Amino acid sequence: MAVITLSGITKSFGTVHIIRGVDLTIGDGEFVIFVGPSGSGKSTLLRLIAGLEETTGGRILIDGTDVTDRGPAERALSMVFQSYALYPTKTVRQNMSFGLEVARLPRAEIDRRVNAAAAALKLEAYMDRKPAALSGGQRQRVAIGRAIVREPVAFLFDEPLSNLDAALRVDMRVEIAKLHQRLKATMIYVTHDQVEAMTLADKIVVLDGGVIQQVGAPLELYERPVNLFVAQFIGSPKMNVLAARREGELIRVGSGAVPLPFATSRPIAHIGIRPEGLEVVSSGEGHIEGKVDVVERLGSDTFAYVIVPELGTLTIRIVGNAAGIALDQSIGLRLAAGQIHLFDTEGRRIAEGD
Amino acid sequence: MGIVGNTTRSPNFRRNRILLTAVLCIYLVYTLVPLFYVVTASTKTNADLFGTFGLWFAGEFNLWQNLVDLFTHQNGVFSRWLGNTFFYSLTSAVGAAIFALLAGYAFAKYEFRGKKLLFALVLGAVMIPQTALVIPLYLMLSKIGLLNTPLAVILPSLVFPPGVFLMRVYVDEAVSNEIIDAGRVDGAGELHILSSLTFRLLMPGFATVFILAFVAAWNNYFLPLVVLSTSENFPVTVGLSIWYASATLGSGGNLLFTVVMTGALVSILPVILAFLIMQRFWQGGLSAGAVKA
Ligand SMILES: Nc1ncnc2c1ncn2[C@@H]1O[C@H](COP(=O)(O)OP(=O)(O)O)[C@@H](O)[C@H]1O
Ligand SMILES: [Mg+2]
Repeated sequence: MAVITLSGITKSFGTVHIIRGVDLTIGDGEFVIFVGPSGSGKSTLLRLIAGLEETTGGRILIDGTDVTDRGPAERALSMVFQSYALYPTKTVRQNMSFGLEVARLPRAEIDRRVNAAAAALKLEAYMDRKPAALSGGQRQRVAIGRAIVREPVAFLFDEPLSNLDAALRVDMRVEIAKLHQRLKATMIYVTHDQVEAMTLADKIVVLDGGVIQQVGAPLELYERPVNLFVAQFIGSPKMNVLAARREGELIRVGSGAVPLPFATSRPIAHIGIRPEGLEVVSSGEGHIEGKVDVVERLGSDTFAYVIVPELGTLTIRIVGNAAGIALDQSIGLRLAAGQIHLFDTEGRRIAEGD
Repeated sequence: MGIVGNTTRSPNFRRNRILLTAVLCIYLVYTLVPLFYVVTASTKTNADLFGTFGLWFAGEFNLWQNLVDLFTHQNGVFSRWLGNTFFYSLTSAVGAAIFALLAGYAFAKYEFRGKKLLFALVLGAVMIPQTALVIPLYLMLSKIGLLNTPLAVILPSLVFPPGVFLMRVYVDEAVSNEIIDAGRVDGAGELHILSSLTFRLLMPGFATVFILAFVAAWNNYFLPLVVLSTSENFPVTVGLSIWYASATLGSGGNLLFTVVMTGALVSILPVILAFLIMQRFWQGGLSAGAVKA
């Protein structure tokens, strides 16, 4: 159980600045997820916390103790790697007990912990196998088992599910959620998968270019993104962003206009609207007009891609199979007032009352 | 042979295959003829050695007598030379393989200042023939008083640049960074990670470097010739060449030619044996045990 505090963390490889000033506190027992596009520095940040990379600047505290200059062994963390990184020449049992043997725990204690983890992860039948003789899901379990037996102060996961097929990924996601509930341990988890981030996290940290864009609960990020980057990164399909201009009590978008949703004095450059915030109406009755380009029917939902002159292609989400919508049809679109996000010229969110 | 558009039945494939086979056959003959000559020569008497066709056996089979002569000539000094060669080669090869492993591992897995320059030096050293270094080595060894000691042969042989290069490439291939990182998170030190997590993945590479260094040391002639001066320290290569020289001078009589030939045969047998034993490491190959997601 641990509180992890990062203050002013920077990391450069040569002259390339990868992490550019990260301040973050991860609470005891919290499940924190780092998301961000590929190359945004998620893995690097995790490896800095693990002690596998040296910081260029800043301090890392675990439970108030400065561990910045300590090696990975002294930080008492466990890490699960993307490739699992099992020791190929060792059996499952040896893989799980290696760290405990290094720590010179008594044999009986090692066996007790390894057997308990094996039972919890349903690995008992495979304890004498080598990793090469296991399926992907089993290897993943062994990697998690190896992390658990050390009874670490916190768990670090680097895209642990990205090598599994879709069905298995869902199962393992649920297992990791249960693991967190059972152990109530601090967990830091890197992913680029929206669904993993939204479903597992107590707190999501959105990274871009080595800088934290926003920290918050999943729904907070979804409902109140602080800037255009977060607005478009969180949510799938992503938020529609339209160039906009204030005209009195109206916001002009392309050749159409919507009423200003709330009073603000700040200049508006863009509005954002999620696919479910757009309502299809008859041509001529909407705030804006467009033509249906592509329709994807998933059964429960339908996604329509509508070309709007001057604004580009908008994504619309309709519950049900949207029988009334046909290709090349001209339609009107209404923007639900409560779902309009306003952004200023720097792409920052304009909140009500600003 | 999975070359697209070149099935095993296409005329193109056949032409290529015939050509390739022919070239390989020529190479095989070129390699085997001298070897075969040594085999036949060591079964002959001195008279037959010069009186019969070189590439076939003579009527009289004299191998046993030649062996007896070989091991009794000059009070059986040949056994001593064989022992020396064995000792020099084994210590050199073990040492060279360990150094190559450590250096290659460091080049492959650690970042340090001057890494590019150092590796360029290693590559440069691969290009320099050891023979070119023998005279400077002689001068250095004489300064520190190691001339005519086993160390004079062993120390220089511990430096085996091709082995360093080979191990670097091999470590890159066979050991993922994440396995090393996992070991670090598990609390193991760097040497512990090498010895108990990654070394077994590197065995084929290690064995290859070992055998290359072993053969290089076994066949080494010029270095021991220069740095050793008494017969009891000679390896087989130097000893036989001295017998051969005295045979051509006629001082010891013609008898020595068959003895030299038999000595040559005896001295290559352990190398062949070593290759056969080491083969199992190569058959296991790169992929044995490695887990790639
Ligand atoms: N050891 C390293 N040396 C140089 N550059 C690195 C190193 N590790 C990571 N990087 C660079 O840092 C950037 C961020 O990498 P990473 O943290 O792995 O991103 P993410 O996990 O978010 O995809 C990438 O551009 C990557 O090339
Ligand atoms: Mg990554």
